[in-house]
Amino acid sequence: MRRTSDNPGLYRRILLGISPVLMVLLLCAAARSAEVSLKNSVFDVGHLKPIDSVLKVGPGDTAPDFELKSIANTTIRLSSFRNDKNVVISFVPAAWTPVCSDQWPGYAITRKFFDDADAVLLGISVDSAATLYAWTRHMGNIWFDVLSDFWPHGAVADAYGLLRSDGQAERALVFIDKRGIIQDIYVSDINDRPPLEYIVEQLKQMQ
Amino acid sequence: MKKLSAVILMFIAVVMVWAGPAASADRVAELMPDFVLPMPESPDEVAYLGLKDIKGETFKVSDIDADILLIELFSMYCPYCQEEAPLVNELYEMMKDSEQSGRKMKLIGIGASNSWFEVNHFRDTFKVKFPVFPDKDMSIYNALSGAGTPGFIGIRFDEDGKGVIVLRQSGGFYSSDEFLAELISYATNQ
Repeated sequence: MRRTSDNPGLYRRILLGISPVLMVLLLCAAARSAEVSLKNSVFDVGHLKPIDSVLKVGPGDTAPDFELKSIANTTIRLSSFRNDKNVVISFVPAAWTPVCSDQWPGYAITRKFFDDADAVLLGISVDSAATLYAWTRHMGNIWFDVLSDFWPHGAVADAYGLLRSDGQAERALVFIDKRGIIQDIYVSDINDRPPLEYIVEQLKQMQ
Repeated sequence: MKKLSAVILMFIAVVMVWAGPAASADRVAELMPDFVLPMPESPDEVAYLGLKDIKGETFKVSDIDADILLIELFSMYCPYCQEEAPLVNELYEMMKDSEQSGRKMKLIGIGASNSWFEVNHFRDTFKVKFPVFPDKDMSIYNALSGAGTPGFIGIRFDEDGKGVIVLRQSGGFYSSDEFLAELISYATNQ
């Protein structure tokens, strides 16, 4: 009896037969690895000093204007929303860190609250646009603009008094009405996520 | 050529293990730490959990009238829990259907580090029909030795009311019927 190794035609047929199966299995593997990557890629920062900056603005002040690049490669200017939309800014300290990675994905399912209040949400961190793009790709439906306050480093966070001594932003929410006036600033303990009900309550007051 | 065949088969085997459906849940046998939850406001949820005779604003998990209890550890903020929500809803319906066989199976969700408002928003967004409870300080999550969200803990209640954890799974499941079969199998020692 001839060994199959002496039958290259048969061998080629076997390889052609199994290659689609291999492709499917490899695609499954790729999907699985993408699915777990946010969880497995988060850097443990430990417990940080709760607040490490002093606010430079407060309710009643005109919100310092800024122009930042978004991860959609557009430029967003705060004052472009004046007389049109209320604005909520969510400053987060850094990409790929525990609490931040567990904050914006929740906002993926809260758009209705913002729409009802005729408000837009802007997410800002001091990371580069490229880093923010890669990070937010794992967050589901991030429907809001994510802006990079990378260079000059943290300049926008600093204008609000929300730049920490280590170069990260605070975990903070800034509520700005259609006139461009700050209605409220919530500076959270950096180790904790602001409760959703706080955002919803502030949005109701801006309606 | 035999060697080459062996290498290809080995490669296929490795890829199948790596890429196949979600790994099986862990079969365990641990005493369930009992914990207290707020009494649901909804009469339907009170009836579902068999708590009509319990007085007060709280109840113990061991008060739930079930042969098998599945606890989902989730968070409104967890994108994987959001993705998993339709499958868990499907599992809930299947558990209800399988109750017709005489086995009482219940499902509850514990929102790790979530407030009432947040778990209710998750419930409303994904039309969750089973009771969900907040665990703002994560004391329940920690008592149950949670290991990420979504996570699942399967409990068998013995005739004396003692709860035994029989299944643990970190991460989602890919097939509701396979997961349910696994839960029943672990709970019934099959």
